[in-house]
Amino acid sequence: MRRLRAPKYLLALPSFVWYGFFFALPVLLMVVNSFGYKPAVGEKGYVRLDKLSFDNYRDVWTDDFRSVFFSTMRIAGTATLLCVVIGLPVAYYIAIKAGPRMKGLMLLLVIVPFWMSFFVRTSAWKIVLSEFGVLNTFLVDNGIRNAPIDIIGTRSAVMLALVYNYLPLMVFPIFVSLDRIEPALREASKDLGAGRIRTFLSVTAPLAAPGITAGAILTFIPMAGDYVTATILGGAKGNMIGASIYNFAIQGQDVPKGAAAAAILIILILTVVLSAGLIVAAIRYVLKQLRRVDIPEST
Amino acid sequence: MSTTTSSTTSRPKHNRQPRDIGKWLTAAWSWLVVIFLMIPIGFVVAHSMNGGNSFNIWKEFGGLKWYRELLSDLSLRATLINSFKAAIGSTLIAVTIGALAGVALVRKPGRWTKVFLLLLLLVMVTPEVIDGFSLLSWFFDRGFNRPFETGVFGIRGGMIRLWIGHSLFSSAVVTLIVRARLQGLDESLEEAAADLGAPPARAFRQITLPLMAPALLAGAMLSFSFSLDNVIVSSFVGQDSSTFPLYLLGTVKSSTKPNVGAGGVLLFLVTMLFAFVTIRVLRRSGDSSGDIAATIAAG
Repeated sequence: MRRLRAPKYLLALPSFVWYGFFFALPVLLMVVNSFGYKPAVGEKGYVRLDKLSFDNYRDVWTDDFRSVFFSTMRIAGTATLLCVVIGLPVAYYIAIKAGPRMKGLMLLLVIVPFWMSFFVRTSAWKIVLSEFGVLNTFLVDNGIRNAPIDIIGTRSAVMLALVYNYLPLMVFPIFVSLDRIEPALREASKDLGAGRIRTFLSVTAPLAAPGITAGAILTFIPMAGDYVTATILGGAKGNMIGASIYNFAIQGQDVPKGAAAAAILIILILTVVLSAGLIVAAIRYVLKQLRRVDIPEST
Repeated sequence: MSTTTSSTTSRPKHNRQPRDIGKWLTAAWSWLVVIFLMIPIGFVVAHSMNGGNSFNIWKEFGGLKWYRELLSDLSLRATLINSFKAAIGSTLIAVTIGALAGVALVRKPGRWTKVFLLLLLLVMVTPEVIDGFSLLSWFFDRGFNRPFETGVFGIRGGMIRLWIGHSLFSSAVVTLIVRARLQGLDESLEEAAADLGAPPARAFRQITLPLMAPALLAGAMLSFSFSLDNVIVSSFVGQDSSTFPLYLLGTVKSSTKPNVGAGGVLLFLVTMLFAFVTIRVLRRSGDSSGDIAATIAAG
């Protein structure tokens, strides 16, 4: 007697439906919309699809926009690198050097700021950085500078806040990958005569690579789409592509152009992530070739 | 490679080395980073008790007056209530579909697993601007999405859209946490229950469910805090149900009042409470701080 067997993915079906209906199809629709055009004033709806063209892409790909696109990629890329440089030693300390009690405490201290509302903690940088803020008051009162410097509205302010907002997303994945390394591996390396730096470079760092990769993806992609940080701190100068998409969609009511900008954003992100991946793979290949150890065949 | 064998005896043992410079350097660096992460939090707490009318410029100590204003200002209070409603609804959705999918991934793997994990990855790495923007056109552009536009059963359309929008990323995180937890569990416990005559449903309810409860709680905590924090997706879909972050986004161009800080601190305390309960439960279930961090970093 055989009963009708439920498909294996039965329990995942709600998720499949959910992501299909509220993620895959909407994104697909967005891509389709990017080829349509904005209906005339008074007509119903956001998009007309009876004539499809690349016009929106051409309209969006102007000099002004290109500079916004590339400055977004540059800001997000630089902030990601800064997150790696700042976050790696922290993750290394917490995972490998800190005692068990210190480990728990430090992890908590890194994650706690994350529980403060994104918007509020970003706004708080205004208290520090604005023209009459804490930093300027300090600098002027102590005669370090004659006049206050207005950091708000510059690219540096956006960069600082981006690093601040996304740093825990870098520390945690690196920590997890370092924490999983058996201490015995590093001890073995030392016992075999490798110094500290050699051990770090040839044992710890390669094993931490997946964590760094995960952290870089986890920080770069949301940063590339983040427009709130720039809205709060950037003013007009720190304009990010996310803000343009938002302006098209909500303020300009031009959904097709927004869709084209969003599609370009996706393509740029994929390009950056893939080329970074290729570069890393190439470096690893070269290093492996250089460090190759030939073990004589035993008979 | 045969020259290294004798070197271990001549080297001093590392635990007798006087000082681990790497440890002190990374520890000092980590504390600097923690201070950096804490600076805005401290200012938010302090300026939420500012006596003046500005969040950015400190005037005098004003006690808890902005906290009282938070609760007496009806429109502001409504946004806080909306934030909690959105968080609770999206958390329930995320935990339900995420738990089911997580169980399916571990217990019923098959060819579908690869497709599903790819979908999950796409959901997680898509920038929020794209999610929000594509949902916007999806919800307002097509006639068959009427309930999401106008609302059903007395629930506003905006609230339903917030539940959906916030649940996408969270449910993916819950799925990965549940998957990681179940992978660590021994399936023989369920088999033993089955051998002793328990039908699958009962074995699941009495054995598997209690064992995965900490993962569900951790997933719920993360979903809840993501939703409370969300600005970008909300700004696209939350039109008739303004949340606290949306209220803040609306005031960003005007002068920010200290009630921003008060609201931030309030949400911060709620999230912290939820988080500490979760950490306690995870500790009781035998997780080390490293395991907990791995859970929070979503496997």
